[in-house]
Amino acid sequence: MGNKLGRRRQVVDEIYTRPQGLYNHKDVDHKKLRKLILESKLAPCYPGDEECIYDLEECPICFLYYPSLNRSRCCTKSICTECFLQMKVPNSTRPTQCPFCKMGNYAVEYRGVKSKEEKGLEQIEEQRVIEAKIRMRQQELQDEEERMQKIQELSSSSGNVAHADVEYSTNAVAASSISVVEGEEIVSSHESCATPMVSPPPAPRANRDEDFDLDLEDIMVMEAIWLSIQENGRQRNLSYPDAPGPYVTDGRHVSSAMGPQTGSSSSPSGGLACAIAALAERQQMGAEPSVSSADGNISSFNMLQGDSRFYNRMDRDSISYPPTDSITDMSPDGSMVMTRGHGQWGMDRGQEMANVATCYANSAAAEDGGRLPSLPQSDDMEGSLENSADPIVPESFEEQMMLAMAVSLAEARAMPSRQAGSWQ
Amino acid sequence: MTSSSASARKALSKIACNRLQKELVEWQVNPPAGFKHKVTDNLQRWVIEVTGAPGTLYANETYQLQVDFPEHYPMEAPQVIFLHPAPMHPHIYSNGHICLDILYDSWSPAMTVSSICISILSMLSSSTVKQRPEDNDRYVKNCRNGRSPKETRWWFHDDKV
Repeated sequence: MGNKLGRRRQVVDEIYTRPQGLYNHKDVDHKKLRKLILESKLAPCYPGDEECIYDLEECPICFLYYPSLNRSRCCTKSICTECFLQMKVPNSTRPTQCPFCKMGNYAVEYRGVKSKEEKGLEQIEEQRVIEAKIRMRQQELQDEEERMQKIQELSSSSGNVAHADVEYSTNAVAASSISVVEGEEIVSSHESCATPMVSPPPAPRANRDEDFDLDLEDIMVMEAIWLSIQENGRQRNLSYPDAPGPYVTDGRHVSSAMGPQTGSSSSPSGGLACAIAALAERQQMGAEPSVSSADGNISSFNMLQGDSRFYNRMDRDSISYPPTDSITDMSPDGSMVMTRGHGQWGMDRGQEMANVATCYANSAAAEDGGRLPSLPQSDDMEGSLENSADPIVPESFEEQMMLAMAVSLAEARAMPSRQAGSWQ
Repeated sequence: MTSSSASARKALSKIACNRLQKELVEWQVNPPAGFKHKVTDNLQRWVIEVTGAPGTLYANETYQLQVDFPEHYPMEAPQVIFLHPAPMHPHIYSNGHICLDILYDSWSPAMTVSSICISILSMLSSSTVKQRPEDNDRYVKNCRNGRSPKETRWWFHDDKV
């Protein structure tokens, strides 16, 4: 017991040996209380000040300021005598827990006014906490950068891509609002969602099933889009029976046709259309190896640029705490939301997305016409597709998202064959 | 009316009033991330808007918490419920009652509205599935006379979420 050291026995005015009426105390042994205060075993019952005038300590329970406070033995947190009396529930069968650290057998000791050394130590401690917080945030940012790089390198399943994107957003929020004042809250909210975030992108196969369990709705929406794409593709195929000739020149050409439909201002290119078509075709063939090979291609695409653009937007949203309709604000990028999926996505929304997807699909179908296996020349086209795969790097955000979606579609279709039970 | 609003109607003690004013000032300076206090002139009932943390099942979703303070706050826990519609969560009943130990048995006067909020957001964030508690219907039916969740004998069984 660090007794008597910083404690000088001082004469306590008689009126401070009894409660000042902060609480309506019951069952307080006034005689005992007086004795404890006079023996400097409990802090005198000074009336608490509402304002911190000079060198006062705040009781963390009543939020009033006192010249000196008691300390809990377990965790040395301060408490004023009157609040302490409230903590001891006399008729309870359970031993009182410390209100701060929940340790049993709560007890306090009184060491008088904090000495200069104690205050100095506290300041140093606070300083350390602040420094540690700064280090923590730096580490987080660094980890995030590394993770993003890894994701680019490793991600070979779209499920993981979507998952990782979301992780990034969480951190982006923290990163964008760096300020000493908010630090604590951000850290804590950060911690609170650490569990879903922390999982690094593991081996794709292992994680995939889990993702599919989680994002059932995504899959269903994507399935709907997929069907719509297919349907439209078939229709287009019928109306352009010998399509390839005029349309397949290069991606640029096709994109000019679909520009107005998508309404996108960012540099459009047909790369995505090709990618979707390619995936669609491979997927249609149903062979799993081809799906994973498609995945492999995807991982080499640079998805970072678009993502970060999107998350900048996210940052703003989450900082201002918009009403739920903020989702519609994102509608140009709505396809991103798709990959994560939310319960409230109505049919309208799905429909709208399906339409957008169809726009792409139409041009894709128009462009590659015969590539769907239902048409005879698909085999011939295979080669040209492979050749054109190199320059296909989606440039605009929309394209990247569509691409991600296409991969998801491919996977979603591939899943039932392996794992029919898990998401039906 | 209901027992909950009856107990909430008992005016705040001086100490409760003082503490809540200070908590409110502190909140305004430094609100917990993801929460917004809806300004009213009623110190005894706070309505707080909570936005799901990014990257969680509740990202971009907004819900409202209603916090009613008893006369002897903080020695006694506030009553915290979600206003309709309550988020779909394995520990949140459709009537807005929240199964969270710190709101009941594990309440400590060292906690604040702010720390409650962080706990609730943490509870939401760690959820892996959007669904009601198994006994939702039975429980909600039992509460139909407007029973306060503080009168429920809670059984805290899941320390994961």
